[in-house]
Amino acid sequence: MNLRELQSLLYQCITGSDLTNGNAGDERGRVLEELVHGDERLSASQRVGIYADGYFYRLLECLGEDFPAALAVLGADNFAALVKGYLLEYQPTEPSILYAGLYLADFLNNHPFGERWPFIAELARLERAVLDVFHAPDALALDVEGLRAVPSEEWPAIKLRTHSAVEIVHSEWRIADVLHRIEQGKEWKHPEHEEASVLVWRQNTLVHYRSLEPVERDALAAVSEGASFAAVCEAVAANAEEPNHTALIARLMARWLADGIVVAADNILAKRLHNQPAGAGDSG
Amino acid sequence: MYRQGRPSGRGEELGLCHKRRREGHAHGTPPPWATPFRRFSSSTMNRSDFAPLGFGVGLRRPHYVHILEQHPPMDWFEVISENFMVEGGRPLEVLEGVRAHYPVVMHGVSLSIGSSDPLNRAYLDTLRAAARRFEPAWVSDHLCWTGVCGHNLHDLLPLPYTEEAVRHVAGRIRQVQDILERTILIENVSSYMAFRSSRLEEWEFLTAVAEEADCAILLDINNIFVSAFNHRFDPLRYVDAVPVERVVQFHLAGHSDHGSYLLDTHDHPIRAEVWALYEHAVRRFGRVPTLIEWDDNIPDFEVLAAAAAEARRRCDLALDSKRLHAAE
Repeated sequence: MNLRELQSLLYQCITGSDLTNGNAGDERGRVLEELVHGDERLSASQRVGIYADGYFYRLLECLGEDFPAALAVLGADNFAALVKGYLLEYQPTEPSILYAGLYLADFLNNHPFGERWPFIAELARLERAVLDVFHAPDALALDVEGLRAVPSEEWPAIKLRTHSAVEIVHSEWRIADVLHRIEQGKEWKHPEHEEASVLVWRQNTLVHYRSLEPVERDALAAVSEGASFAAVCEAVAANAEEPNHTALIARLMARWLADGIVVAADNILAKRLHNQPAGAGDSG
Repeated sequence: MYRQGRPSGRGEELGLCHKRRREGHAHGTPPPWATPFRRFSSSTMNRSDFAPLGFGVGLRRPHYVHILEQHPPMDWFEVISENFMVEGGRPLEVLEGVRAHYPVVMHGVSLSIGSSDPLNRAYLDTLRAAARRFEPAWVSDHLCWTGVCGHNLHDLLPLPYTEEAVRHVAGRIRQVQDILERTILIENVSSYMAFRSSRLEEWEFLTAVAEEADCAILLDINNIFVSAFNHRFDPLRYVDAVPVERVVQFHLAGHSDHGSYLLDTHDHPIRAEVWALYEHAVRRFGRVPTLIEWDDNIPDFEVLAAAAAEARRRCDLALDSKRLHAAE
């Protein structure tokens, strides 16, 4: 048996990915005895089993840290069962364990737990977004001073984008309420079945999230696509319930700038920002 | 069991009001303690090219704020490389802040140097970029494999100790050193299984790989003790067989006793037997930079600092006793 065959076999034994074969247990034990030393203290299978246990419990702990709200909702036993199934379908591929739970929300989409907790996949997606935003690339956020550097007559043509550390999670349930209560150490309540969009962003290395009204959601969707400021204003005007569109746009813009969630997307604006004194455009 | 230290997406990070710190040494200006990196060349590695860092501890999340704000006395910190191979956010800011005041070493857990998979070039490029940014005193990883067929077990698995494996691993270490443009350190892992196909003792394998790859060795004293119990070999024989000139760093950690085997959990104080083995190693290898690892049930920083101080005290005592014996 060459190195690749040895490693492939051990990988299957450790991850349990050969369990679909009914005779795998007996055959595996026999092969392992030929490969690995056993003694009166531990058989070869028991020694490989130490690695199998380590693999599962390490990833269970990791995913519990990444998805504390899903863990709180499901309970420890259900969460462990979830992770066991997940790891058979989505075995980690990345060097960093940070990505081990990348597909947990997808896995939950069609999971039987969805019948009892129909919001669980969306809750996991929000938790994953928080983690992704935490590590997302740094970028120079646009702030009030930066925008003031642009003459007002040029504003309609300037292009913005959402910061790289911004995600918007759309859901059919008010999942942000669940996450918020669990983070505060409170008992969670079944969320309302109501469409929602949650903005997740990072500022000064801290991750925040809040629910969006439809008008802000659509405006940010336009921003994320690199639309011009004029187009963003049109998106706001199309959805706004209040008659004073200008005041609404000013309010939204002021909040985006204060939160550091938009960046310059065109060369003209970027050039103006970079010509400012050092730090003037740094939202931190 | 080795646990990869993990950055958090939330927890105390979300509630933390951390001020940006810009004081300290700029990265372009080496601080007084900095030792120039030894760039990899075809010549044989020289232990004196590595900075005599002293006694350090692993940089772990519960201590970030204390270290960044209080700058407690500590010779150096070791970081888990993968935790800082991210694109942005708090991990990078933390390491930047720590690096401005302390020497840092980057210790990886996913190089998978013993895997039969091709080397992960994207991983290596990211590691090289991180090393250029944070200028660690050195870069290390483990003599093991962590995955195969594109999958990752997030664990440190042993290799069969054969000539074939020596050639395989040494060739890959040379490639890594060429890509990173530096000599790397390879660490012995603790293990719970040994292969019937092995033809070398573990210490012979470690030595052969290091010699053929011309790399340095990070000798984990606790791992030797754990593996010695699990595979019934004499830990002193291991320590006495490793070439002195290649050992650049020691690791010390706690482990768990499961009766029929020891588990490398890094969640306990260092056991008396491991301290004794450390003193033996100091008498053989001299004053080697020593690092306290603690990855689970992480205590207050003062407890880790006390363990580093204890390592310093035992190192001094061991060297004194060696001098006394030599004088007699």
